[in-house]
Amino acid sequence: MKMSKISSILIANRGEIALRVVRACKELGIKSVAIYSDEDVRAVHVKRADEAFHIGPAAPAESYLNMNKIIETAKAAGVDAIHPGYGFLSENENFASLCEKSGIIFIGPTSKAMEITGDKMKCKEVMKRAKVPTVPGSDGIVEDVEKAADIAHRAGYPVLLKSAFGGGGRGIRLAKDEKQLRQEFEMASAESRAAFGKAALFVEKYLVKIRHIEFQLIRDSHGNGRHLFERECSIQRRHQKLIEISPSPVVDQKTRERVGEIAVRAAAAVDYLNAGTAEFLRDDEGNFYFIEINSRLQVEHPVTELVTGLDLVKLQIAIAQGEEIPFNQQDLRMNGCAMECRINAEDPFYDFAPSVGPVPSCNIPYGPGIRVDTYLYPGCTVSGYYDSLVAKLLAWGRNFDEARRRMKNALDEFQIEGINTTIPLYRTIMDEPNFVKGELSTDYLERYRVMDRMREDAKEEAKKKASAAVAAVLLQSELVKKAKAKGAGAAMQQKQPSRWKHVLR
Amino acid sequence: MEFKIGDLAHLLNAEFVHSLGNDSILIRIDGKDHMLKLLKSGSDEFEFMLDNTFHHVKVMSSSSAEAKLVVDGQPVNVKKHSKLTEVLEKSSGMAGSGGGDRNLTSQIPGRVVSLAAKPGTQVKKGDVVMVLESMKMQVAVKAHKDGSIKEIKVKQGASVARNDILAVIE
Repeated sequence: MKMSKISSILIANRGEIALRVVRACKELGIKSVAIYSDEDVRAVHVKRADEAFHIGPAAPAESYLNMNKIIETAKAAGVDAIHPGYGFLSENENFASLCEKSGIIFIGPTSKAMEITGDKMKCKEVMKRAKVPTVPGSDGIVEDVEKAADIAHRAGYPVLLKSAFGGGGRGIRLAKDEKQLRQEFEMASAESRAAFGKAALFVEKYLVKIRHIEFQLIRDSHGNGRHLFERECSIQRRHQKLIEISPSPVVDQKTRERVGEIAVRAAAAVDYLNAGTAEFLRDDEGNFYFIEINSRLQVEHPVTELVTGLDLVKLQIAIAQGEEIPFNQQDLRMNGCAMECRINAEDPFYDFAPSVGPVPSCNIPYGPGIRVDTYLYPGCTVSGYYDSLVAKLLAWGRNFDEARRRMKNALDEFQIEGINTTIPLYRTIMDEPNFVKGELSTDYLERYRVMDRMREDAKEEAKKKASAAVAAVLLQSELVKKAKAKGAGAAMQQKQPSRWKHVLR
Repeated sequence: MEFKIGDLAHLLNAEFVHSLGNDSILIRIDGKDHMLKLLKSGSDEFEFMLDNTFHHVKVMSSSSAEAKLVVDGQPVNVKKHSKLTEVLEKSSGMAGSGGGDRNLTSQIPGRVVSLAAKPGTQVKKGDVVMVLESMKMQVAVKAHKDGSIKEIKVKQGASVARNDILAVIE
């Protein structure tokens, strides 16, 4: 790849990530160009960017997902490159390809690499050839029960039978031994045949008490690959990450080097370019299994920035303009511990129902080791059209415990008026004994009944605030009484100036 | 006046005592005096020191019966009870202090009229455990959860105060 200096970037995204990219552009003296939908006219990324172009109605399909319109806008604005952020078009190989064809640099992997990383089965095949450990199981569809039993035997029980046509947990059956496997296989095949006309099942080892641990990758156009250590993202709800931490409490330096090297190898296997993430599952025995590469800058990238001291967006831009990664693997040092809480506009007390609307005021926390990436400002509006992530609250400390305590403080200070958010859940987690010990797993919330704990905490909070609440009610009723008396008093030429005059001015 | 905070079983008894001048008032909560110094007041917002602690309160809605507040960022609902009957209604509906608690407590002061269960009795949530009398009204105290009566803490004819433990259900 030849060097081609980027002097302007269109940011094909909105919210905090658009703002994040604008900031990197400003530091580098690059012109930033924002796009916005009808809904986002007053959004902060529009205000901060050097230029902003309107691209369509609120619905994402007609605005932030509208490839042709975005390319057209990029050409009209005369930009050299497009940064896709995360979500929207960031992992769309057609969009990357469209950029390539239009002579615009797509800040991310090539469309060719994305084609492989986007196809789970194809990616698994490539990884196996590169000797990257994947979850033991079948290479493809298994049609015969004898073959399934053989694969299960080699992978080790328990195993999962997954329908090739299922999804979202449907069509998944658990087999604890061979007898059960034979029974379940027959039933699952029959179901599949009835529904789809053919039996198509995968066999996969069932992993117990798993952790989600991922490695940040970067790879340049000269073939240099580095990993920027791990992030543990085990605290999830319905496969959505809630908290990300680096380092993982269960990854020591030796493991970090070993799995990090695997991650770099995985990136090389698909000729990866730019920043990405290799995701692994870690079972209770400490085995790591590769699951996929996320071919984008991830939401949780600031966690890595805080422990490495690097600016990933600036690195992305450098790589996109053909530069070599300016450091070696052994130059990198992990400094302290960082964690991120994803503040979502969802009500954790009502099954995480979305909560949208105006935010008349908010208090964004700061202090030692605190970073907040957010699009919130007093008077902004949280739209129902887009992702519920309103802020990423990050805390850094010399160690896990310091980061945790700083996070707790910051959560206490973080106030967002007008909408419900997931902040109460995080406040509970920060003091939950298993979290404090680093006992994490992807079923953390259910395993330790964390939601019940949150409800108990809320009651305790209300108890603590009871006196102040009652005082406020008394105060208010006195003020109302006084206001009425004052009205009457005015008629009587303020015959009796009250002691309350000062108090209730 | 009595106040119910959120779904806490304990009712707070609070009253305005008098003004201390200099933007300060004296209030009494559960028999204890507190000094409140008003720092800022708006139509729906207050800032004050209660004794030596700062509080910011936003009034989301307020009626003669209920106030929805945000106290230091924490949503708190306050129900105002000026009539005992209202308390009694609440009491017979949901005695006790929440689902996880073993203790069945009294929400009203009164006298034990009769016992409807004894140790070992299996009860379901809502079953009558005993009847109290207060201000010439009889109030059934109902089990706050399913279980078996471990212990009855009061005798027939005994006087009980608010929040006294009446029985233990496991």
